[in-house]
Amino acid sequence: MRQPLLSLINLNKYYGDVHVLKDVSFTIDEGEFLTLLGPSGCGKTTLLRCIAGLERIQSGDILLSGTSIKDLAPNKRNVNTVFQNYALFPHFNVYDNIAYGPRMTKSLNESQLKTRVSEVLELVQMSGYEQRMPHQLSGGQRQRIAIARALINEPSILLLDEPLGALDLKLRKHMQTELAHLQRKTGTTFVYVTHDQEEALNMSDRIVVIDQGEVQQLGSPREIYNNPKNLFVTSFIGDRNIFPVEVVEPGEECSKVKLGESVVAVRNSSSAKNAFPAEGSAILAILMDKMRISCDETENAVKGRALSIHYAGSQIRIEVQVEDRVLTVVEYQKIDCDCQVGDTVYISWEESGAILLPKDGWEERGV
Amino acid sequence: MKEKTNRLGTFYLSLFFVILYLPVLSVILYSFNASSSTAQWTGWTLDWYRQLFSDRVIAQSFRVSIVVAVLTSLLSAVLGTFTAVVSQWVTARMKTAIQGMMILPLIVPEVALGVSLLFFFNALGLPFGTLTLVLSHSLFCVPYVYIMVRLRLQEIDKSIIESALDLGASTLQMVRTIILPLVAPSILTAALLCLAMSLDDVIISTYMSGPRSTTLPVHIFSMMRVGVTPKVNALCTLILMGTFFIIGLSQLVTKNRRFAK
Repeated sequence: MRQPLLSLINLNKYYGDVHVLKDVSFTIDEGEFLTLLGPSGCGKTTLLRCIAGLERIQSGDILLSGTSIKDLAPNKRNVNTVFQNYALFPHFNVYDNIAYGPRMTKSLNESQLKTRVSEVLELVQMSGYEQRMPHQLSGGQRQRIAIARALINEPSILLLDEPLGALDLKLRKHMQTELAHLQRKTGTTFVYVTHDQEEALNMSDRIVVIDQGEVQQLGSPREIYNNPKNLFVTSFIGDRNIFPVEVVEPGEECSKVKLGESVVAVRNSSSAKNAFPAEGSAILAILMDKMRISCDETENAVKGRALSIHYAGSQIRIEVQVEDRVLTVVEYQKIDCDCQVGDTVYISWEESGAILLPKDGWEERGV
Repeated sequence: MKEKTNRLGTFYLSLFFVILYLPVLSVILYSFNASSSTAQWTGWTLDWYRQLFSDRVIAQSFRVSIVVAVLTSLLSAVLGTFTAVVSQWVTARMKTAIQGMMILPLIVPEVALGVSLLFFFNALGLPFGTLTLVLSHSLFCVPYVYIMVRLRLQEIDKSIIESALDLGASTLQMVRTIILPLVAPSILTAALLCLAMSLDDVIISTYMSGPRSTTLPVHIFSMMRVGVTPKVNALCTLILMGTFFIIGLSQLVTKNRRFAK
């Protein structure tokens, strides 16, 4: 069996009385792009800083290639960090910034260093900028230099703390592609922290969803998006209609629930196999963009009344009232039925777009 | 309406500067007065400057002042910077303690400070002179260096320090390559301020001066007891020029601080 590159074993971290990381355990494989995704304050940055050695953990262990690094100072760990605000040294030019790591560890002589600096500069497409000072660079350029500076040490793992957070939308999209490309080219293991689900889904091999210091779900982007394990992941990732429904016929894979006047079959979430009581209630979550609207009744369709229709560029958002709740349907380009506000419509969805979850934690969400 | 307030402001400001600098100007002017009395103007002369430069006691006390000021600013720069940098890594309680101790010499009246230092150095058996002067001047100079360096340290982004450690620097390497270069302008400005304050001090120096090591301001003070001679005017003019030069230099240093935040 292949040994994981980095193993986190029951990490616990407190700030005073606040328990910021709760028994966090997972492993990271060599060469993968792993994203820590969660809302702000969920502990994802703290987790990254624990791996870097900038924070100490109170219990648990961190193994890098099988060796514990939890008591090592940051400069003794073979991991490097790219900080959110780049943290370039303002009094050094680009060359000296990038050369900083090898100079401190005396791992290269000056001529080797020169070659390496131009190599990493080329890698981040910043050749020729050696003599510039950080304040003469744009945000995106500083970002590249910060990455080059971290990569020159050839770290086992590159930690990136919301590196695109300060860039504008267009540049951010561009850098996303470039980062993913860079990761594949260098083969370096990336651990990436973000609160932006789109960024996470776009770039990662695997995603760790974190909330309140706990790992909520770990899986590939597709898995996380299509098969959210619990209510938090369901509501955090993807735009979904989420509401409680009555279970009329529980099943192993699928259960039948009552929605409006119809009874429809919905796939159970993986964490909820056989978890539904015969006549209890559960939570139904349907991806808005996997829903369709039509004028005629079809199988598994739910009857409702169109409340409003918004055209937003490439997509159309339709709010439909089903009994006492309002569902949002997102359609792209064409709608099968040219309905008007107030018309009776039928909504249906792709089977993969809907999922049934146990009701645990619904009340706490205060919805 | 706005015009009116502006004019009033200009007038007030002009008045302020006139009152502030008129006495200074008169000192400069009278240092060139041929008459030995300030009551009348009898023409230009450089006699007082000539007398000043041939006065060996003044020359001696001037030397003492310069030596003390330079040593004081060096010692204060080192101690103040060290304390400021180290106080970044101590516990919050320790930090408060350091802060308190640093402020104390600034609020204790100088007269009381002088008396207590007199007893202290006496008890230690230190001979009064350059050494006691440097130590006592440093006592009120170190806090200024500490405060100015700390302010600059607070401006430095914490992640810059973290990234230096992350990239492989030991704490000592990081201080040498990152912190010191970034706070250097503040250290320099503070050291120049110490130079000016040490040159300027009368009260503590009066207690600390030894038989052959009187500082210039203390000497001037004793000259004044005999009466104001134009020689004092000439001396004050030179001191003023010196002070302006130092202040100007420190302003230049501050202005050249062009590090982007």
